[in-house]
Formats: sequence, structure tokens, C-alpha cells
Amino acid sequence: MSMQKTTKERWRYYLNILTQKMKEVIFSILPITVIVLLLNFTITPIGTNLILRFVIGAVFITLGLSIFLLGVDIGVQPIGSLMGSSLTRRKNIWLILIFGFILGFFINVAEPDLLVLAGQVDKVTSGVLSQTNVVVVVSVGIGLLVAVGLARIVFKIPLHKLLTLLYGIIFILVIFAPEEFIGIAFDSGGATTGSMTVPFILALGLGVSSTQAGKDSEEDSFGLVGVASTGPMIAVLSMSLLSGMKSLTGSLPYEAIDTTGVLVHFLKELPVMAYDVVMAMLPLVVLFLIFQVLFFKLSKKQLARIFKGLIYTFIGFVLFLTGVNAGFMEAGSAIGHALASLGKEWIVVLVGFVLGFTVILAEPAVYVLNEQIQEVTSGHIKKKAILYTLAIGVAVAVSLSMIRILVPSIRLWHLLIPGYLIAIILSYFTPKLFVGIAFDSGGVASGPMTATFILAFAQGVADAIEGADVLMDAFGVISMVALTPLIAIQILGIIYERKSAKRS
Amino acid sequence: MGIEKVDIVPVLHVAVVDIGMGSRILNESKKIGISGGTIFLGRGTVKKPILELLGINESKKEIVLMISDKKIEERLHEGLTEKFHLDKPNKGIIFSSPVNRIIGIRTREDVQDSIVGGKESMEHEVIFTIVERGLGEDVVDAATSAGARGATIINARGSGAHEHEMFFAMNIEPEKEIVMIIIEKEKSDNVINAIKETMHIDEPGKGVMFVMDVSKTSGLFKDDK
Repeated sequence: MSMQKTTKERWRYYLNILTQKMKEVIFSILPITVIVLLLNFTITPIGTNLILRFVIGAVFITLGLSIFLLGVDIGVQPIGSLMGSSLTRRKNIWLILIFGFILGFFINVAEPDLLVLAGQVDKVTSGVLSQTNVVVVVSVGIGLLVAVGLARIVFKIPLHKLLTLLYGIIFILVIFAPEEFIGIAFDSGGATTGSMTVPFILALGLGVSSTQAGKDSEEDSFGLVGVASTGPMIAVLSMSLLSGMKSLTGSLPYEAIDTTGVLVHFLKELPVMAYDVVMAMLPLVVLFLIFQVLFFKLSKKQLARIFKGLIYTFIGFVLFLTGVNAGFMEAGSAIGHALASLGKEWIVVLVGFVLGFTVILAEPAVYVLNEQIQEVTSGHIKKKAILYTLAIGVAVAVSLSMIRILVPSIRLWHLLIPGYLIAIILSYFTPKLFVGIAFDSGGVASGPMTATFILAFAQGVADAIEGADVLMDAFGVISMVALTPLIAIQILGIIYERKSAKRS
Repeated sequence: MGIEKVDIVPVLHVAVVDIGMGSRILNESKKIGISGGTIFLGRGTVKKPILELLGINESKKEIVLMISDKKIEERLHEGLTEKFHLDKPNKGIIFSSPVNRIIGIRTREDVQDSIVGGKESMEHEVIFTIVERGLGEDVVDAATSAGARGATIINARGSGAHEHEMFFAMNIEPEKEIVMIIIEKEKSDNVINAIKETMHIDEPGKGVMFVMDVSKTSGLFKDDK
């Protein structure tokens, strides 16, 4: 059984590895691209420039996502799980709590999504809640809850009980907080757990729980993101209460769609995104080096490999964000505007459903979560089952958001409060592993794709509908996207359990 | 080849394939006559300087363990090689290893005896090294420097008698890595020594190493040096 390999075959081998990595990504970007092109050539033409930008954006996103995922795989995730397992092995609860807080705080404080959200809060409160304050308080919230989430694993507190407590606190705060803050607060939970934070926190949880023996190891691998994302909600709601504000005083400027130029937008976004990503990654790199000196003491080769991973993460993330911001965002806004101008409301809801379904396939953190599920369950839970369940969840979220914009009498909390109640009640009946996956997937689904493309789409729709408040109505879309996966994945879990019970 | 048809001669088949292919391998194997299998994840590393420089010399793999009677071995290798093109590079490997006893495996009566043709080639051995998590790479390095072409690393947990510990409600078990290396017999002593020397396996608490015979392989390639 031996064969001489020719040069041609060797090249085919390299090509094979590249295409293997890219094939999955291409299949995830293709659906949304096809849908938008179809819409453009049928009911909602958005102009040559915008559609060109969209197609170039799709190429950027495909390349960026492939490289980003590779980088997360060999850079960000090993750092997270090494930190988790090396902290646990020290067997000092204070060490775990203190470093849990430090990691949660610093990884989040530079998250670009958080900066954007805090800037918006600053504007709508006319500076009463300043950007810096919001960033610091939300990061403290995440830091505290990462520590709580890690302590939960150590002390074996069931996840659904901790979540009941946390959402109980949130419900009480909601009763007293001004209604207009609810959207911002629930958005902040999803928005701040962005593409840098989610893979890291996921891996951190995995690292801590992987040191355990038995079935707990599998179940405790998930849930840390879910616990962490309640931090910002509690933080923002508490801030609004303490500030004594009764309603929002300021407003946000709505930027008109710029249809001139194609490539110039990409050139403009690239350095901005590069700066954002450097800032977002800096704390991670610094913390990694501190851990390397204190705990890891990795060999040069392992160190080099992780740094290669971080470089991939950087390049991939910059390309991805540039593609989303320069290519997808305004196309989404223009489609939303054109659709709503057609005057047929059911079309808006239907297209919202289809866009929600397809856009989630392109969300980076979804891949990272799925990979981790594969790894932890040795492929027992099928990738496609999780992916399509998430897609249906997000599709429902986007179409519900469209209905909310079209029918002003439906308030955001009419959907959020029952939604979270259902999610919490379900967690008492869902297999433990799926409770963790479900609550993690809320933070996972509301990543940069939703925060830009879907948000822009919603703003476009709101802009074209009389009586809809462009930015206030758009607040809350992310929180819907962060909510529905909790319910959808838990239902999947119940179905899974029934099926495997039947089989045996 | 004197195969005794009275007793079952159990053989362990191990397939290492790309992630996602494990279930397909198992299904195809069932058609050939395997009664069942176990799938788990690992990562394969290959010795390719360019890939190493780029940091992408590792890829996720699925490992399928199947046990069957010796008489199916030949057919299994042929069938899977044909179906999954294992004779082309980078499509996966299968090797079979004799085992002493099996319990809990049903022999399938519906499977006809296949004529065991060709020569029984004991050309390869498989080396298993179990070390602390994170040290698997070092084992692979030592092995490749002594002539191995690649390895599969499997994440695992486990502990020696003295290592079991509780931390509040957590039951902590040290994390390990299992490194699986298939090697030609003539190179195996070199590789074993190289691993032993770099990892100090013979000192207490440094790891465990064992070697098994391999009766048949598919999908392995010689280097074009």
C-alpha cells in the first residue's frame, strides 16, 4: 500500500485543506446573497451601486469568516479553555472568582458592539448616562456574572435555578424602570456578547468544566455565555433606575443612505475596523501573556501557534466587519425601505422571516458554538439540527419585530416578558445540556450580522412607515433575536430526549 | 493462511477520517457486515512544513472503532477503500489490529465467509502514548523527527491511582491526550525510543505508552522524500 506522490497531488492536497475550510462558509453566505439578489431583481431594486457593494461585501465576508473561524480555532479558543482549566486546577475558589471577574470585564470593555450601544445610550439620555459610564458599568456587570457563572460550575448549582434567579431580578427591575429603557436593556444583553467575547467565554466555560469527571463535564460546558449576558441587562436597568430618569430626552440622528461610490466605502471602513478589532483583541492578548507567565508556561511552539491563530482572527475579523459594514448594512436599510414603501404589510413580515432565517447562517459565533457542541458531545447532536433550529428561531424573531414596527400598539415588552417567562419555564423540563446550549445561543445569535444587517433592515422599514420611530423601534430587534433561540433550542432538546427515549 | 472457522477471531478496526465522515463510514461498514461501532473526535497532524508555518497542519478528525471477526477484515478494507477513495491521499486511513477477547459483540449470521486472499502483512504497528493535556504535540514532534509521518491526537481525561481529587462539588479528573501513531515495523523502535527519551515516559507520572500489532492498513502513503 504505497504510492509516490507527485507535485500535482501535493498541490491538490493543499487546495483540499483550503476548500474544506471555505466550503462550509460559502454555503452559509450563499443563501442570504441569493435572497438579496432575488429581491433586487424583482420587487425591491436598490440600485447598481448598492448591489455591487453588497456582492463585494459578500466576498469580504466569505473570506473574512473562513480566516476568522480558523483563527478562533487555533488562537482564541485554546486561550479560553487553557485559562479555564488552569484556573480550576489551582483549586482556589478566590482565584477563580477574581480572574473570572477580570477576564469578563476586560474582554468586554473593548468590544466594539458595546461602544456603539453605549454611544447610543449617551445620546438618547442627553448625556445623563455617559458613554464611559455605560461601558464601565456594563463590563462590571459581565465580569461579575462570569464569576458567578464559574462559581455555579464549582458549587454545582443547577443552571436553570441560577437563570430563574437572574431573570427574576431582571423582571423586578423592568417593573420599576422607565419603559423606554427596556429595549435598550434587553438589546445590551445580546449586543455586548459579540464575536470576540462569545468564543472566548464559551471556551472558558469549556475549560473549567472539562477538568471534571463524568456526565457533568458535558453539561457544564455550556451556559456561561447565557449567564454572562444577563449582566448587561441588570447593569443598564439599574443605571436607568439610579439616574432617576423618567423618559428618554434625546434622539438619535438617522443617517441617510449614501448611494454614491462602491469601493470607496470599503477603503473607508477598513482602517476603522482594523482599529476597532485591535482594541477589542488587545485585552485578550495582554491577559494571555499574563497567564502565560503565571500559569501556562507553554512551549515556544505552542505559543507561536496561538499567536498565528490570533493573527488569523485579526485579519478575518477585519475583513468580515468591513464586508458587513461597507457592503451589507446600507443594502439592508435600502431593502427595508423599499419593501415597506410597497404598502403590502405581509411582504415585509415574510421577507423579514426569510432574511432572519438566512442571515443567522452567516453569524460567526454560531459556527463557534456548533463546533463546541460537536466536540463536547462527540457529534451526538447534529450540527444541522442546531443550525436550522436557530435559523427558525431568528426568522420568527425578525418577523415578530416587523409586526411590532407595523402595529405600534404592540409594545416590545408584550413580546419579551412572556418570551422570557416561557424560556425560564421550559428550562425546568429541558435536558440540562440543552438548557446551557439554548441560553448560550441567545448571545451567539445576536452577533455582528444581526446588529448591522437586520438592524439596518428594521430601521429602513421603520423609516418608510408613518408613525414608526426609526431608532426607538429598531431598539429591541436584537433583543428579540437574543430571545427566540432560547425557546427554539430548548424545544429541540425536549424533542431530542423524547426520540432517544423511544429508541431505547 | 490457516483461518480457523470454528472460533471467532476478533479484530479491532480503527478508521480515522475527516470530521462528519464517521457516521458514513459506520453505515457503510454495517452493510459490509460490522455489527456496530463507536465514534469519537480527535485531531490529525501531518508533517508538512508549509502547513506548519501557516499553523494549519492540524485538522479535526473522527475516529471510528469497530470490532468484527477476522473474516470480514479483507472485505471491510476493500469496501471502504473503494467507497471512500482511501487509495487517494488525504481521504482517511483504516487499520486493523488483532484483539484477544471480545464480549458483547454479536456475530452476524447473515454474513458469508469471505475468502481471505493475499498475504497477511504485519508491516505496521500502532503506538499509543498517553500524556498530560498539551504535551501531545511534543510527542508528535519526537515521533516525526524519528520517522513518523503524522499522528492523531485524542483529548481524554483520566488519572492514576493517586490523582483523584475533589474541589467543592466538582470532581476533578486530570486532562490527558492520547497520541496514536501508525508506523512501519522497521521504524517503530526508533520512534518509541525518541518518544521515551523526550517525554521521559519511563519516569513515574510522565505518561503511559503501549504498542499494538497491526494486521492490515488502508490509506497509508509512503513519503516522497
